[in-house]
Amino acid sequence: MSNKQDSKAVDTTLIRRLYFFLKPYRWFVLLAISLTLSASYLGTIRPKLTQIAVDEYIAVDDFEGLWWIITLLGGALLGEFILLVFNTYITRWFGQNALYSLRNTVFKKIQTLNVQFFDKNPIGRLITRTTSDIEALSELLSDGVVAIIGDLFRIIFILYFMFSMNWELSIVTLTVLPILFYATFWFKAKVRVTFLEVRDKIAQLNSFVQEHINGMDVVQLFNREEKQRKKFEKINAGHRDAYIETIFYFAIFWPIVEVTASLAMALIVWYGGARALMDGVTFGVLLAFIQYARQFFRPIQGLSEKFNTLQSALASSERIFGVLDTKTRVIETDTPTAIKDPKGKIEFENVWFKYNEDEDYVLKNVSFTAEPGEDIAIVGATGAGKTTIINILMRFYDIEKGSVKIDGVDIRDLTLYDLRSHFGLVLQDNALFSGSILDNITLGHPDITREQVIEAAHKVEAHRFIEKLPESYDYVLQERGASLSMGQRQLICFVRALVYNPEILILDEATSSVDSETEALVTESSRLMMEGRTSIVVAHRLSTIQHADKILVMHKGQIRESGSHQELILQENGLYKKLYELQYKDQVLAE
Amino acid sequence: MGALKELNKYLKKYKGTMVLGALFLTASNFFLVWIPVLIRRTMDEVESLGNEGFEVPSNIVQTLFSTEASKILATNSLILIGTVMLYGVLLFATRQTLIVTSRKVEFDIRNDIVKKLMNLPQRYFAENSSGETYVRATEDVGKVRDYYGPVIMYSINTITRAGFVLAMMFFVNPELTFWALIPLPFISVFAYWITGFIHRHSTIIQEQYSTMAGRAKETFSAIRLIKAYNRIDYEQQLFENESEDYRKKKLRLDMIESLFHPALNFLIGLSLLIVVWKGGEMVIEGTITVGNIAEFLIYVAYLTWPVAALGYTTNRFQRSLASWNRIQELMNEPIEIKDAEDKVDQEVKGHLQFKGVGFNYPGSDEMVLKNISFEINPGENIAIVGRTGSGKSTLVQLIPRLFDPTEGEILLDGKNLKNWSLSRIREAIGFVPQETFLFSDTISDNISFGVEDASEALVEEAAEKAQVKENILDFEKKFKTMLGERGITLSGGQKQRTAIARALIKDPKILIFDDSLSAVDTKTEDAILKHLRQELSGRTTIMISHRISTIKDADKIYYIEEGQIVETGTHEALLAKDGRYTAMYNKQILEQELAEI
Repeated sequence: MSNKQDSKAVDTTLIRRLYFFLKPYRWFVLLAISLTLSASYLGTIRPKLTQIAVDEYIAVDDFEGLWWIITLLGGALLGEFILLVFNTYITRWFGQNALYSLRNTVFKKIQTLNVQFFDKNPIGRLITRTTSDIEALSELLSDGVVAIIGDLFRIIFILYFMFSMNWELSIVTLTVLPILFYATFWFKAKVRVTFLEVRDKIAQLNSFVQEHINGMDVVQLFNREEKQRKKFEKINAGHRDAYIETIFYFAIFWPIVEVTASLAMALIVWYGGARALMDGVTFGVLLAFIQYARQFFRPIQGLSEKFNTLQSALASSERIFGVLDTKTRVIETDTPTAIKDPKGKIEFENVWFKYNEDEDYVLKNVSFTAEPGEDIAIVGATGAGKTTIINILMRFYDIEKGSVKIDGVDIRDLTLYDLRSHFGLVLQDNALFSGSILDNITLGHPDITREQVIEAAHKVEAHRFIEKLPESYDYVLQERGASLSMGQRQLICFVRALVYNPEILILDEATSSVDSETEALVTESSRLMMEGRTSIVVAHRLSTIQHADKILVMHKGQIRESGSHQELILQENGLYKKLYELQYKDQVLAE
Repeated sequence: MGALKELNKYLKKYKGTMVLGALFLTASNFFLVWIPVLIRRTMDEVESLGNEGFEVPSNIVQTLFSTEASKILATNSLILIGTVMLYGVLLFATRQTLIVTSRKVEFDIRNDIVKKLMNLPQRYFAENSSGETYVRATEDVGKVRDYYGPVIMYSINTITRAGFVLAMMFFVNPELTFWALIPLPFISVFAYWITGFIHRHSTIIQEQYSTMAGRAKETFSAIRLIKAYNRIDYEQQLFENESEDYRKKKLRLDMIESLFHPALNFLIGLSLLIVVWKGGEMVIEGTITVGNIAEFLIYVAYLTWPVAALGYTTNRFQRSLASWNRIQELMNEPIEIKDAEDKVDQEVKGHLQFKGVGFNYPGSDEMVLKNISFEINPGENIAIVGRTGSGKSTLVQLIPRLFDPTEGEILLDGKNLKNWSLSRIREAIGFVPQETFLFSDTISDNISFGVEDASEALVEEAAEKAQVKENILDFEKKFKTMLGERGITLSGGQKQRTAIARALIKDPKILIFDDSLSAVDTKTEDAILKHLRQELSGRTTIMISHRISTIKDADKIYYIEEGQIVETGTHEALLAKDGRYTAMYNKQILEQELAEI
């Protein structure tokens, strides 16, 4: 019981929060409500007018009066039409505007959340929050509520006109209502369950097809065509049966609606006929009642449908506000300082860090210093904590204990914007966007000129291949640069890092995904890039880092060895020596 | 109209049900038209009773149950209810036959499409985007289903209902019928136009929606980079542009949609208005009764929906045909890679010979492979090296006949591959593709993908050989761990090793690794290779790799450049040649030497 109360309370706060997005349009909402009110009146008055036409003019052979009432009827019809059109458009209009601002708000919120949030939420889910969840609100924020009000008014007006004409006949007619109500709610309950089933089956069906189109070569290589086909047939049959069940409920429901409407007419004719004989009811009233009996069903239908969509809209809005309420875990200081004369010195002092509360430390008491201009390389097995160091340095995450300083300033005393403007980052998955090469390099930074881009491209020897592309720097990349080679993509990322002219360069396994041919090219470029800058290079392959001023060997979250290549290679039983020998064993043997 | 014939072929199986459904629908409409007639009759009879000076009791209960009039009223009402019930039952039967059949036909079509997909050669998948194929196998089927369901049902409904209702209307009063029908064609045309407009714009909106979602995807998946470069505001701007575009496009559709129901409502209302107006005049003139007006009002109401459905159905029908044509294109794709008539179906020994093999991808003039000839003896261990894009992957894909060579021939145990039983060849090959593809299924199901009823022990053994068992046992559900959308994501190396296990479990005669150890660290690679060498002696292995460590023990190494074999020999022999292989080797070793100085 108390649970239900809670959900009610949640609903009202949700609605209040959603209203916030409608607030700028509140006068339009009011206008829409008054329009729908007028339209409901004009729509329901028509049978009443028919009654007047029949009883007061046709019955007394008054041609002129008939004309007059027909004009009135036409006026009501036209008026309803115009009001409905306006009303529909206005509600859609403010609805779209509210959705627009809500969508942008959610997108902005997600973007500013810390990286941890992205680790926990798959990209697909985040996209859903910014697109389809918002879409699910469209009815709620546009014509949903207004339509409910409209439907309610319609019912009230119809009841009013019916009772004002003849209350007895009204009651007789309305005796069919319980059937209709019961049928409608029974149907909604059944259909909701089967629809969920159908949706689930569709998802299964589609993902099977999607997956097997992508992996058809595997299916064929493993002679699994027949087996997978049978598997599909099963899923397909589930899909068919779910639909057939839905059809069954529809097949019962629609006839019931029709039959109930006709039943009401039968009652009107039977009882009304008797009353007419007794001169209690006119034919005009019978005619009006026959029309009302048909009119009555639409708003009831509409209401039951709207309640369902509203219910699911509230579920979506709950998810959306869930995102909007997420607190970012990297909080900027209120009193930021700035680095006056940035040199690029990095200091890690006894840094402890773990990604999640209940997990082990990923970094344990890590300390190191990179002097301005120094090249630092970090090596170690997967999971040793190499990338974590970068994540912390850029303040994607906040550390638990210890401190990280740049040019002597704790990074938590800088604004995020300021901090990150000192870095140039190249990631291992060489992220490119759809868009021109130029946009990919500047990332839309308005202060970076084309000349600067070309200059930077020259520096890492990327200019040569970019120049050869169909529209050189304006060449538009398809599918995130699929038309370029791995090495070329990497070089573009290098130009990007360089053109921002950072004091500190970070290469996160930047060369691990290219073959050794390309690697040579990329290694050369990265060496050019690092000149005069502090750099941190994370690498799988030892070959790429041997010229580093300092190599940090990470193992299980700790820095186990540090020193130059020459120093480390001489350490008996050293980790680095072991790693090195493992990687080059074959070549050494071949000598 | 050829397409229509094709569409109807699928109905053959369900002919009986469809005919029955059509009969139900016709019968239901037959009963429907009597409802207004009964109402009119009752009203007319009441009127004439009144005119005859019928003596009315003062009590309503008496009037309803014990007078002469009560008999008339009760009979008419009961007939009315009976008719309505029959109508309802028939309507139920119609949906249970016609619509249910449409879902069954959809089931058949879907099965046929997937069957076709399963047999399509890789050439098709190279030529067509996966998105397009996906739409054909999913959305298009749904649209074709509309033909078998709503289109057929509403067509029959419109025809039979209009037939009965119009006949009845004409019978009662042709003139009033004429007047009442005036707005109806407009309803049809309007419904046709507006559903077409809505459909076109929905497509545009759908596209914009995808663009917007794509924008969000780009931003969110590169969030670290965006944060690192302080580009949040810029990304926000880009997204808001798409968002704004979406809003605008949506509002354009909304404008027309705002017309939809009000206009239909208006046209229907107009019909009713005309009935009251013209009918009223006729009542005054004495040609018809008020009961006739009531009757006509109901007739018109009965007609409006089928008439609107006519426009809507036409549109849907056109869409069904368009989708059908797209599906047909897929169904008519030739399957050029299949079993020969009298196929070779014998144990594979593992001898392979390439004879002047050349290959180009369909739609491209560039030869990816040129005049490739070499031979692999059973049990031999060969390696293929070369730069990215030199044709290595294509070469190995020809062996399990994912593609057929455009020139030359490939012999397996001395017989042309094309003459072999396709499943025999593929049975004998354990292939680990370059891009690891695992299904959204349990790890165990993925590993045992190619074998019948593999035992748990067998799966574990394969996982162990591929050095992935330990990783799997670390998962909470071990081998029952789900992968993919509804499960976990494996790291690149774990994926590769799972794919290796999947190939090893088949105990294949020929093992092909297409750069399948690239994401595996050297230590693990070492262990895998050791296993392979021990256990797979006597099997033919072909390995593509960039790492010298992977391939240097091969019996023979082929260096491929621009689709041609340019160097052949053992590791030592190739080094002695001092050619491209040596250059590659030297590059890998260069830095090491530099360091040693």
